[in-house]
Amino acid sequence: MNKLIFALLTIGTAQLSFSQAQTGTFAGGFESNSQWYQDDQGLGALAPRDQFRANNYFNLKYSYDKFSAGIQYESFAPSPLLGYFEGFEGNEIGTYFLNFKHKGLDITGGHFYDQFGSGLIYRSWEDRQIGIDNSLRGVRVHYEFNDYFNVTGFTGNQRLGFEISECTVTGLNTEIDISQALDIETGINVGASYVNRYQDSGSPDLNFPADIGAYSGRADITFDKFFIGAEYVYKEADAFVLDGNVSNNNYQDGRALLVNTGFASKGLGINGTFRAVENMTFYSNRELVGNAFLLGTVNYVPGYTKQQDYAVANIYVYNPQAGVSPIEGKAGEIGGQIDIYYTAKKKSFLGGKYGTKFEFNLAHWSGLDAQFDVPNNTYNATLLSLSNNELYFREYSVAVKKRFSKKLSAIFTAIQTGYNTKIIEGAGDFLNGTSLIADVLYKLPNRRSIRMDVQHLTADADRGNWAAATLEYSFSPSLSVYAHDLYNYDETEIHYYSVGGSYTRGRTRVALNYGRQRAGLICVGGVCRFVPENTGLTINLSTNF
Amino acid sequence: MKKLIIFIAFLSFAFAQSQTSLPDLTLKDLKGNEISLASISEGKTVVVSLWATWCVPCIRELDTIAEDYEELQEEMDFELIAISVDDARSTRRVKPAVMGKGWEYTVLLDPNNDVRRHLGNPAVPLTMIVKDGEILFRHSSFTPGAEDQLFEKFKELAGE
Repeated sequence: MNKLIFALLTIGTAQLSFSQAQTGTFAGGFESNSQWYQDDQGLGALAPRDQFRANNYFNLKYSYDKFSAGIQYESFAPSPLLGYFEGFEGNEIGTYFLNFKHKGLDITGGHFYDQFGSGLIYRSWEDRQIGIDNSLRGVRVHYEFNDYFNVTGFTGNQRLGFEISECTVTGLNTEIDISQALDIETGINVGASYVNRYQDSGSPDLNFPADIGAYSGRADITFDKFFIGAEYVYKEADAFVLDGNVSNNNYQDGRALLVNTGFASKGLGINGTFRAVENMTFYSNRELVGNAFLLGTVNYVPGYTKQQDYAVANIYVYNPQAGVSPIEGKAGEIGGQIDIYYTAKKKSFLGGKYGTKFEFNLAHWSGLDAQFDVPNNTYNATLLSLSNNELYFREYSVAVKKRFSKKLSAIFTAIQTGYNTKIIEGAGDFLNGTSLIADVLYKLPNRRSIRMDVQHLTADADRGNWAAATLEYSFSPSLSVYAHDLYNYDETEIHYYSVGGSYTRGRTRVALNYGRQRAGLICVGGVCRFVPENTGLTINLSTNF
Repeated sequence: MKKLIIFIAFLSFAFAQSQTSLPDLTLKDLKGNEISLASISEGKTVVVSLWATWCVPCIRELDTIAEDYEELQEEMDFELIAISVDDARSTRRVKPAVMGKGWEYTVLLDPNNDVRRHLGNPAVPLTMIVKDGEILFRHSSFTPGAEDQLFEKFKELAGE
């Protein structure tokens, strides 16, 4: 009912504004992802209860002068796509907001998204591909006192499907741009945050923590070509949760350190990210700890590895391990990644006629140095110790982008992966894999083009070796079709084939695909969602206005 | 049902009045300077591209345009503003990537995807031709040859 009133108010406000002056702007979008699932004996996959499923999102934003208002209407009819939270059922207004902005003041009522620092203490965002929308519904106020000092405060309840959590999340953040304040060349920024989650105790233990506070401090220094930044987060002791069961008398605190450094000059860029986390999962409802749909996450602990674009490179993907599980020997993780971007100049030895681009990525993640008391579900860990660390994941990759002529260019990628199946998936042998990928693009006359890739993964465990290939033909910048196959020729002899095409015109894109989806993690921005094996026809439609 | 009716009413109203412009937001560039989106196309025509370091077609598009960027600048005052929608996970990669690739574009950061959300959460790459804040041309996705279409459109729209 409240939502209805809000919607009416929004329209009322909008129309009122129009009668006053014919200004103000609308912007919005519609996205529909639907699939017709089929039984597939070759895959051993059965179509789910509702064979046709669709996720639809419609959003609209109206801005007038200092005000803006928006709603997002969502429909999961009759059920959400496989792998999405089943609580998304039916159709309803998912989010709405009213915002006022004037000079340094920015006030939002309704649903809002925000992030403090790197997100290690707090981040709310929406990603439809991984089915996450952890916006808070409440009030957020941001004020810029001047051009170097600002403060943000909010309080609200988190969105959980079409419901909201009964727990309250409150946050306070401040940022100071010291270089601006002192008018110095070197960029120095500092920030501090406090985030609190309140959830009724419900426990007979008087010491049971209902309020969990988290504190973070950070600083970034930027010179002309070099930068370094660090952030430290401490989270107060929260109750230990195992499979949704909350324990009494077992309260553990958490901490994390993130360091980012890099160098950038023309033709060479280097970035290093190092992070150690111990017991840093942070949920608005303690019962949600470790849930498969990323519901109720307050903070953001992404996997810092390179996001790969090719099928064989997306089979064994790292899923970050921020939580505690004594029975599995997990208390957190420590590691880092280094990215190097290098361009060999035109007419140099490596560059040739058109120049050559190189991208290197090294990622290495291990468990913390910790001892576990399994019967009592407790542990003792040293955050920054570099001994007794069990290897969780490592990946070294190199990509070379080379143009041979005005028409022909190619990308060659090689990846060496070490994957701790037991830690990442729960059971299985440690896997070593090598991927080799060649991706060739040829430009034809009249804006047509043809792209082809061949991919191979050699792996010493799980389902062994894989091969894949893609052929894509573009009739114009608007219309393209493709055929793709990912083949596990070693163990299962299953072909994960798919064919499809997409048409883009102005702000509208329609894509049609038919084929098989391999069971596994779909990761966007270092956050992953599991999709079960399935076969079917998929239609994606998106438009913006 | 009631909700649906309101929703449809709202929708038809929106389509009738729909306008296209860039939001009036302030983003940071790679040096940490705050740049207002309104200022970038004030009195001129520019290309605004939404991209991310993890998006292969985006990188392809920007690499392709970068090859001829100097010539285009001289020839027709072509200017490209690349807004990175990289989030907290990868926003740190933007500067090394841009510098390492030797791109000459003005690069702005939209780590919390405010611009993208304002535009209705489009897929990236999203390439737009913008004049005085108004979006005159919009194209998402990139296949080779799309850059020629963009240059032609730009010539046509900037010439007006």
